[in-house]
Amino acid sequence: MVLDKRLAELRDRIQQLNPAEAQQRLTAGELLIDVRDPGELVGGTPEGAEALSRGELEMRIGDLAAPHAPVMLICASGPRSLLAADDLLRLGYRRVAVVAGGVDRWQREGLPCVRPEHIDADSAERYARQMNLPEFGIEGQARLADARVLLVGAGGLGSPAALYLAAAGIGTLGLVDDDRVERSNLHRQVLHRDDRIGWPKTDSARATLEGLNPKIEVRTHQARLDARNVEDIFSGYRIIVDGSDNFATRYLVNDACIKLGLPNVYGAVQRFEGQVSVFAGHGRPCYRCLFSEPPEPDMAPSCNEAGVLGVVPGVIGLLQALEVIKLASGVGEPLIGRLLLFDARTTRLRELALGPDKGCRYCAAGGEFPGYGDYGEFCNASGGRDLESHD
Amino acid sequence: MTRIELPEALRQLTGGAPEITVEATNVAEALEQLGRLHPEACVRILTRGGRVRPHVNLFVREHDIRSLDGLDTTLEDGDSLLVVPSVAGG
Repeated sequence: MVLDKRLAELRDRIQQLNPAEAQQRLTAGELLIDVRDPGELVGGTPEGAEALSRGELEMRIGDLAAPHAPVMLICASGPRSLLAADDLLRLGYRRVAVVAGGVDRWQREGLPCVRPEHIDADSAERYARQMNLPEFGIEGQARLADARVLLVGAGGLGSPAALYLAAAGIGTLGLVDDDRVERSNLHRQVLHRDDRIGWPKTDSARATLEGLNPKIEVRTHQARLDARNVEDIFSGYRIIVDGSDNFATRYLVNDACIKLGLPNVYGAVQRFEGQVSVFAGHGRPCYRCLFSEPPEPDMAPSCNEAGVLGVVPGVIGLLQALEVIKLASGVGEPLIGRLLLFDARTTRLRELALGPDKGCRYCAAGGEFPGYGDYGEFCNASGGRDLESHD
Repeated sequence: MTRIELPEALRQLTGGAPEITVEATNVAEALEQLGRLHPEACVRILTRGGRVRPHVNLFVREHDIRSLDGLDTTLEDGDSLLVVPSVAGG
C-alpha cells in the first residue's frame, strides 16, 4: 500500500509517454534507458535503448547524459522506471520521462526490439544470477559461451574447476586425462563417484558435467599428454588450465602454451598448501621464469608421499576457475604477474609479485622456441611417480 | 630480527617449526644462520656453491629477491624471508 501511494504520487508529477511517442523521440535522437537488470534483457530491449540497470543508474548516468538533456526511462511494466525517474530528478536531471507500460507494452504494440545474441530462454534462466551483475551482464555471459577452455587433468584441481566452469557456462570445456577413477581419488576429486571406480576419468567427468549443464559442449581426450600430441590437443582451445600432478606435465604445458600463445592458468598443491598464478605470455612471466627447473630427486617428495588435504585442491581449483572466468569474460583483474599462496593451516592467502626472467630460454623476448625437452627425464625428479597420469 | 618462513616441505627438517628467527642484515646472512641451525633445510634452498636452487624462490617484502638485489637484498628489522619451492601436486 505504501508503494501504491508513492507510485500514484510519482505518476502525478513525472511525465509519462506512451511507447509510440517514446519511440518517435528515440528516433529523433533522445536517450532511452532500459533500467531493468541485465538478465531481464534476454527477452528483448527496445531497439536503440541504452541498458543501464537501476542499481547503476545514478553512478553512470553522467556518462550518457547531462542534467539539462531529456532522458526517457523504461522498465518491465512501469513502476521501476518511475522510482528510477525520481532518483534522477533528485540528482538534478530536469527533463525525465518514463514509458508507460514498460517493455511489456512496447512489445505488445509491436515496436522494434533487439534480442542479445547467444542467449536463449534456458540460458536466460540458468545464468540469470551472474548476468544480473552489472559488470558481467549478457556480454560477459556471451563471452563465456564463446570460450574454449582445456583442463589438463580431471583430478583434484580439475574437478572443482570443471564443475564451476561448466556451471558458469563455458561454451566448450575440454579435459585431458588418461587415468581411471580410484577410491583414493574421491576425497578430493569431486567430479567422480564411488560407483564409477574403474571408469576412465574423462568418461566420469563427461557424465557429471553434462548432467550439471547440458548447454555446454564437453570434449574429452583420454590420452597421455606428451610432446607429440600436445599441440594437436591444445590447438582447439584458447585457455589452458594446468591441473596436472607432476613436473613433467607442468613444464610441457608451459612450453606448449608459450609456443602456441595460450594463457596458462596454473595451480599446484601439496599437503596443506597451494599456489595459483596466470602465465599469460606477452612479456609477462611464465612457469619457467618462476621455477626454471624441477627439483632434483632428493629435493622434493612425490605427490603420493606428500599427501594433500582434500579441500586444498578444492580451494586452488576454484581459484583457477575464477581466473579462467576473468580471462574469458574480460571482467576483473587476472593473476598475471602475481603468485597467490594459500596456507590451509592458517587460512591465509598471500600475494607475491612475479617478474619475467629476462634470461628465460622459453619466453624471453626475441628468443626462438628451443623445442620441447625430454620431459620423461623429470620422472625420477618427482620421486618415481608415474608422471603421465594427472590424478 | 628476521623471520624465515618455511614451506610445509621444509618444516620436517626444522622439527616442525614453520618459521625460524635470525639476526641478519641481508638474505645471504639469514640463510647462513639457517644453515648453522638447520643445515638440512638450508641445503634444500641453496646449492653447495651457495646459489639459490632453481626450483626455489625467495621473497622479501612480497617481492622475488631476483627483482631486488638477490642474496644481497637488505633485510630491515621485522622483515620476513619467505621460501617458496615448486610443488607439483594436483
